[in-house]
Amino acid sequence: MSAIPPILELRGVHKRYTVGAGMLARRRTLTAVAGVSLKVDRGEVLGLVGESGCGKSTLARMMLGLEEPSEGEVLLDGRPIGSLGRLERGRLVQPVFQDPYSSLNPRRNVAAIIGLPLAVHGVGTAAERRDAVEEMLGLVGLAPRHAEAFPSQLSGGQRQRVAIARALVLRPTLVVCDEPTSALDVSVQSQILNLLLDLREKLGLSYLFISHNLAVVQMLAGRVAAMYLGRVVEEGVAERVLGHPRHPYTAALLASVLTPDPSLGLPEMRLGTAFPNPLSVPPGCAFHPRCPAVFDRCPREAPALLPCPEGGRAACHLVEQPEGGPPPAGLVQAA
Amino acid sequence: MSGAGDLLLDVQGLEVDIPVAGGTLHAVRGVSLSARRGETLCIVGESGCGKSLTSLALMGLLPASAKRRAERLSLAGEDLMSASPRRLRALRGDRMAMVFQDPMTCLNPSLTIGDQLTETFLRHGKGNRRAARDRAVALLERVGMAAATNRLGQYPHQLSGGLRQRVVIAMALMCGPDLVLADEPTTALDATIQLGILQLLAELQREMHMALVLVTHDLGIVARIADRVAVMYAGEVVEEGPASIVFGAPRHPYTRGLMDCIPQPGRTAPGTRLGTIPGMVPSLVGDLRGCSFRGRCPYAMPVCAEPVAVRDGPDGHAWRCVLPGETLVRAA
Repeated sequence: MSAIPPILELRGVHKRYTVGAGMLARRRTLTAVAGVSLKVDRGEVLGLVGESGCGKSTLARMMLGLEEPSEGEVLLDGRPIGSLGRLERGRLVQPVFQDPYSSLNPRRNVAAIIGLPLAVHGVGTAAERRDAVEEMLGLVGLAPRHAEAFPSQLSGGQRQRVAIARALVLRPTLVVCDEPTSALDVSVQSQILNLLLDLREKLGLSYLFISHNLAVVQMLAGRVAAMYLGRVVEEGVAERVLGHPRHPYTAALLASVLTPDPSLGLPEMRLGTAFPNPLSVPPGCAFHPRCPAVFDRCPREAPALLPCPEGGRAACHLVEQPEGGPPPAGLVQAA
Repeated sequence: MSGAGDLLLDVQGLEVDIPVAGGTLHAVRGVSLSARRGETLCIVGESGCGKSLTSLALMGLLPASAKRRAERLSLAGEDLMSASPRRLRALRGDRMAMVFQDPMTCLNPSLTIGDQLTETFLRHGKGNRRAARDRAVALLERVGMAAATNRLGQYPHQLSGGLRQRVVIAMALMCGPDLVLADEPTTALDATIQLGILQLLAELQREMHMALVLVTHDLGIVARIADRVAVMYAGEVVEEGPASIVFGAPRHPYTRGLMDCIPQPGRTAPGTRLGTIPGMVPSLVGDLRGCSFRGRCPYAMPVCAEPVAVRDGPDGHAWRCVLPGETLVRAA
């Protein structure tokens, strides 16, 4: 065991839900997360990418202690998340959600919203809490006068700053950001991304940064994990995963990033249109019905997440046997 | 650039006013746009810039409280401002069709895909049920839906988001319109699905020689699909022109600022700060004078408080800024 445990570690985490309401509907099991093992070291930014329904938000909820895994372990700072008290947990991990319109209580003013975690946990005196709120306002770039404002009086960007201040007021080590800029305009998104970078430098934070926007992830994350139907299909240092993806799914995600370059036109879409349905996961490699490089082994056998020669891990039969099949290098598509 | 087809949509000096508590909100202020057959025009801007209201105004679908004025608003030479509601209903869905952002809210959950597809066709008297059904199947196949005949009996909830949007696109095309207006057609979709829908729209636009007006906030989409771009800010078009020129050499500081705000893989090094546009959009209630962007503009000068004339460059490039000739470069 190393001296400093990772701030977050997931060990073989599964989450299953039973669905199928109604009198006649058969009950079925939806596996939202199927055996995910990941870790986030202190000071690290891990980007988590994937399409809607791939289980990334369910994973985030388990990291925050909002859902319990059906199987496997979530460790915060080396300790099982269930063994931590609420305050202990709150001092380790805090969330920033996507929509600052629904994640802030419209009936409380900004000072009350930011100070609520302190009040709930009874941290400090009322005066100390006021000071902490004021400090937070400055930290996220809001003016002291905003303390009295209500969310309805703030712009989307200001609201997201309030949400970030609330997440940081307990001085957590890890912040789980679930699509924190997807609801914002581009000129506001850039301000919030810059703020997240500044705060990380200033406070030594770790982020688990969930986004469907690979351009944003590339700017923030040191490591990246791509998820498909509840599984991590590729993971590694951001430069490697986004620069030379080894899994066809990661390559396709990258190819679908549209940069504002009029000379390029629309890139060719090489993915099949079969919509991934977590209620009926295809046999073998779950990605095979959409994969441009599918071969006979893929529907029969699920590939394990194994180390790649270039570093990181990927779950693809092409990576396991580099000498057979089409050359994996052909999968890499220039953005 | 696609060839110069006939001018299909011609809008001059479009204004949309909305009465609000404390005055009038000038949501769209003197917008002039045009689109030719076989051309894709993208209207791009951030929330509140008036891009969606502009598209609704073109279709005559504004909320009842909103007031629309225009010096000219014509489709294929026909004046839409003076057209009767009856004539507008005849044009909508037939000559001009709309694709909305959220396919779940613009499809009727209690009607089958087939009923919804054939309705427009039958209503506009394009043929009998048999013909409508054949057209629906052909279009569903064209938009990439397998087992099209079986889809006709399905309900919207049985389809994924991407497939629903394909149905909405097929619906818009049932009568073979001259103009398709798409308002954020892929915003609710994943990037991989979005790409498929954009490719489909681009192909259909070429195939059917339509004019496509696409409203979006996403500069990446605009750059990849547009022939011409209109950048909107605070209810005005601040820059317009061929996509290659507007993105290659923007002349309005707002366009430049927007481009600096987006991270670009391979170009934005990890950990570098993005460009920002400080400040906020001005209130559009009451009278506005001068450049609407001057409060946030790094180049603002006293003269910007005066009304700003539109300047013209080559190839139909036009912008609303007093800055002299040289191209704006990215602030270091």
